[in-house]
Amino acid sequence: METQQKQKTKISRRNFTVGTLVALTGAAMPVWVRAEGTKTIAVLFDGLTSEFLVAGMGAMEADLNSRGFKMLQAISNRDDNVQFEQVKSMIANKVDGIVIFHTDSNAVIPAIRAANEAGVPMVHFNRPPAESDAYSVAVVADNRGITKATVQYMVEKARASGRKYKAAILIGNLGDVNAIGRRDGFGDAVEPAADIIEVVARIPTEWNADKAFAGLTNAFQSNPDIDFLFSSSDFMVPIVQQVLTPLDKWHPTGNPKHVMWGSFDGDSGAYAALASKHLDSDGVQDLFFEAKASVDLILAMGKGEKPDKIFPDPGFAITQDNMEKERERMWGYSEWKKKNG
Amino acid sequence: MNRENLLRFENITKSFFGVEVLHGVSFTLESGTVLGLVGENGSGKSTSMNILGGVHLPDSGHMSIGGVPYAPTSPREALARGISFIHQELNLFPNLSIEENLFIRNFHRLHPTLPVIDRKRMRASAQLLLDMVDLKLSPGTLVSRLSQGERQLVEIAKALSSDARIIIFDEPTTSLTRNEIDRLFAIITRLKSQKIGIVYISHILSDVMKLADNVVVLRDGGLVGAGPRAEFNIDRMISMMVGRSINQLFPVRSVLAIGEPMLEVEGLTQPGVVRNLSFRVTKGEVLGLAGLMGAGRSEAARIIFGLAPYKSGSIKVAGKALEPADPRAAMRAGLAFLTEDRRLEGLLMNAPIFDSVALPSLEAHASVRTGWINNATLESEVKDFSKRVQVNTADLHDVQARNLSGGNQQKVVLAKWLMRRPKVFILDEPTRGVDIGAKAEIYKIINTLVEGGCAILMISSEMEELIGMCDRIIVMGNGEITGSFDRPNFDQERILAAAMRRGRQEVA
Amino acid sequence: MTNPFSRPVLSSGNTSPQHRPLWQRLLLSEYLVVVLCLAYFCIMIPIVPRIASIQTFQNILSDMLPLIVVALGQTIILIIAGIDLSMTAIIAMTSVVGASVMTGTGGPLPGSPFAMPAGILTMLAVGAGIGWFNGFCIARLRMPPFMVTLATTMFFAGVAIWYVTLRSETTSIANLPRSFVVIGQGKLYGIPNSLWVTLAVGVLIHLMLTRTVFGRELYAIGVNRISAEVSGVPVSRRVHMAFVVSGICAAIGSILYTGRLETGSPIIGSNILLDIIGAAVIGGTSLYGGKGKVIWTVFGVLFLVLLDQSLKLMGLTLFMVFAIKGAVILVAAIADALRTKVTGR
Repeated sequence: METQQKQKTKISRRNFTVGTLVALTGAAMPVWVRAEGTKTIAVLFDGLTSEFLVAGMGAMEADLNSRGFKMLQAISNRDDNVQFEQVKSMIANKVDGIVIFHTDSNAVIPAIRAANEAGVPMVHFNRPPAESDAYSVAVVADNRGITKATVQYMVEKARASGRKYKAAILIGNLGDVNAIGRRDGFGDAVEPAADIIEVVARIPTEWNADKAFAGLTNAFQSNPDIDFLFSSSDFMVPIVQQVLTPLDKWHPTGNPKHVMWGSFDGDSGAYAALASKHLDSDGVQDLFFEAKASVDLILAMGKGEKPDKIFPDPGFAITQDNMEKERERMWGYSEWKKKNG
Repeated sequence: MNRENLLRFENITKSFFGVEVLHGVSFTLESGTVLGLVGENGSGKSTSMNILGGVHLPDSGHMSIGGVPYAPTSPREALARGISFIHQELNLFPNLSIEENLFIRNFHRLHPTLPVIDRKRMRASAQLLLDMVDLKLSPGTLVSRLSQGERQLVEIAKALSSDARIIIFDEPTTSLTRNEIDRLFAIITRLKSQKIGIVYISHILSDVMKLADNVVVLRDGGLVGAGPRAEFNIDRMISMMVGRSINQLFPVRSVLAIGEPMLEVEGLTQPGVVRNLSFRVTKGEVLGLAGLMGAGRSEAARIIFGLAPYKSGSIKVAGKALEPADPRAAMRAGLAFLTEDRRLEGLLMNAPIFDSVALPSLEAHASVRTGWINNATLESEVKDFSKRVQVNTADLHDVQARNLSGGNQQKVVLAKWLMRRPKVFILDEPTRGVDIGAKAEIYKIINTLVEGGCAILMISSEMEELIGMCDRIIVMGNGEITGSFDRPNFDQERILAAAMRRGRQEVA
Repeated sequence: MTNPFSRPVLSSGNTSPQHRPLWQRLLLSEYLVVVLCLAYFCIMIPIVPRIASIQTFQNILSDMLPLIVVALGQTIILIIAGIDLSMTAIIAMTSVVGASVMTGTGGPLPGSPFAMPAGILTMLAVGAGIGWFNGFCIARLRMPPFMVTLATTMFFAGVAIWYVTLRSETTSIANLPRSFVVIGQGKLYGIPNSLWVTLAVGVLIHLMLTRTVFGRELYAIGVNRISAEVSGVPVSRRVHMAFVVSGICAAIGSILYTGRLETGSPIIGSNILLDIIGAAVIGGTSLYGGKGKVIWTVFGVLFLVLLDQSLKLMGLTLFMVFAIKGAVILVAAIADALRTKVTGR
């Protein structure tokens, strides 16, 4: 052995030296990273295709930066396989935890299993996985509760006005638990007030802008006197404006032609509609809370704790009345501020 | 006539990757004369012409045009100095009209600053050029509708359009019919009278003798002979080119067997292509098919081999009727077909030689059910047949077909069909673009085949070749048979007269 | 050779391989990609040391496997100078149809031992069927492969999504039988099952291409279709069949992808088209037809996955990853064009 090595060194001493140096640097680098006592968290999103996701990524980055953690980001571009490969490579990269926003609630399960096997904590950002034996925690907005609070504000206002209302709801894709939660939250608020509010239209949109537009237009054709509206997502805000404007129903609150209107998400478009007093209330997913909770959960899981599979984000409803006070917590407001200086 | 030195080519040498392929070649071209440049493939003709055309730079030596030094670094520069090439493969865009092809380098514009073509002016200039080359077609005709000969005239017109002072013809007659050739020669004579200098490269030495004022013979990259035509004759040229004399280009066949019919064609008709074609080829016979370009000879061959459909008539091989329009059925029946265009239809140019040879015989060396190839027998047979046609077997897997000379390429095509042991072999222009040495070899191979009992249908535009090789010659004109000659009655003039005869189709 | 006329012809411009300059020899070498892989790997070690870990190697291997199977199908099509853009749609379509046959929730064979074979046969049949249709349009109706497969891609990508909405409440079909999932995840004799499958497919295609009439004729068609026709190659039949094989390869790839994710999803391979073609081209398969080998494509996939893995380990953003991968594939295509030019067309 020894002679062999000697021979090798003799043959090319320089190569040996260079090789050793390279190997040493390679071995030393991770040690050096660890020595700082920081943690590395992988943030895997399936895209940055909506304002919500961009803001979510931003919130994650801000939170991790504030803790001095390192973030490894990867986008799968709506490909479950790519995301699975990303999870595996993050595990190989020995990250301390994975925050994931997956595409498909079934297809993500092997990725959770892989994380389980490697002992890497995994937290789902905003979107829960399908039922399975794999363990991970999902930080999910309490869609039903937030929606109920949002619509409740509208119902109270309606009652105060002393007249009767005809209501419509734009429903999301019923394959999505979030959409179901929002639909049920709407029901929770409206049903006790059945004496003054009659729901005349339940419009399926499948989260599709064209369907939402056509559905809402049709609803107003058959019921021109709809004056109480809930849209299940803020991406429909411009659609609502497009439909209401030609009908002479796009007016701020206080105007007799105003349609009482609530929405959900808390994006910058919704903030703008609140500010212009067209939107009465908006259910807000507390992105900043969710980002912080995700990292807290990873740290807790890293210590061996086993939190419940669902960690709710209580969220809140921002309304014409509490706007000034609560808007700092609304993620869409910070986006709006960025856009409007 | 007052002649001046137009082009001087002095002591030019050129090496490619350490191999000298041109050893100090010098010659002079006078204005208003034709310089015949002859030599086998690989003798340095193309290299010298590529240097002249600015494609390659010479390693040493120098050139001058009209006394002014000339050292082109690009084909564009050569063109600007008045040098035009008429290539063997014509460089026209078939999907464009004649006039567009003529002015593709420099369209007439309505105004120099406007990117708008002045159609009227372009047409007028095009007409003028076409008149100069005696081509009676509208300048708006699409090139794809022209015959090979007509396309060549367009090429010449294109050269004239760029005010060429020197025009180089590289094997201009290979795809022309006799009367197209005559027309070409007339035009060359006219070009001479306009003080244009012409370099005429050809394998057809009789043409060179007829046309050239001076002759330059190259062999292996060196100059072996130069001087006025009077100092040369064909035999002398051949012996200079190959380094020895060829007394007999066409070897004598030992057997002239006339056996049972192997190919019987009866009343073959395809409207617009061939009409009522009937002939038979017997075992051990070479039947020549003469005719002008466009007479329907190649088309008839394609129909027989199943590459094109026909309307009525029958084709029998060895007594059995052949399924129409199915080349595989034709091959199974024992047909082989060496096509006119070996690059496009005969060879896999960008694949090793082996692949071209083996392709039609793959199935014969494979299990019928699984298609599993028996490499050992395939390999040995490809080797065997390559040896028979004298293709270097060491190159089979390493050299691609396109790297071979024309003659060797044609031998590869022969090998690939010989391997199928054909009963009937259709040869369409088997020696086109092939140097004299390889020609003799090809003739020998054909003779061996015939002696082995193969029936051969040979299409050729070279009358000497048909007369030298065939037992019988039939002549086609306008898709019909216009004459038939037995060997004792072979007569170049009478065969030509039959070829010029118009078919009944035209008369009716 | 005794004949005085035949002498070795070294005409102008032709050069034997040993006379080529070094860069040309390197460009033409079939192992260029392996050399590049090694070089790249060594360069990356100091930058992302984690790349030299067993786990990374395992990841590289498992990421390569399904892609190899699919890229081999593409290689066959590239050899005949065609292109198959529909492979991703075939993956999606076979994934959802196969899953709908096998799933325990709402499938026709819940819990039955026949669910797995039925599902696999269905997937292969769907893949072969779409390939057959592509081949029919291209070989028999003489339509350009680019157009045909682009159209089938759009059609089946759409149909796959629609099909899921018919079969499932969610956007995918889960609850697949264990016996199926194992194909994508399990091991046999310590070797991943997907590696066994890939090996089998690779060896079969290699033998098919090199040792059967079908394979040799595919190369001939790619080099010169007309010459092949004149030489008695049943060109239409071969081209038609090649697309069927390509469809089957996509289906086998889909089996591995679907098994790995335990989910039949209509977006399962929606973004890998460029990886598929890129891997083949990086390996040295020519876009101009007539050239391609199984082992080349394996090398090409290795390079692409290695690159991908290193970029992931560096934590680069998606846009950077796209840009770098695109650039690498572009360079490979340029190298292909150069190779074709150097060897003189």
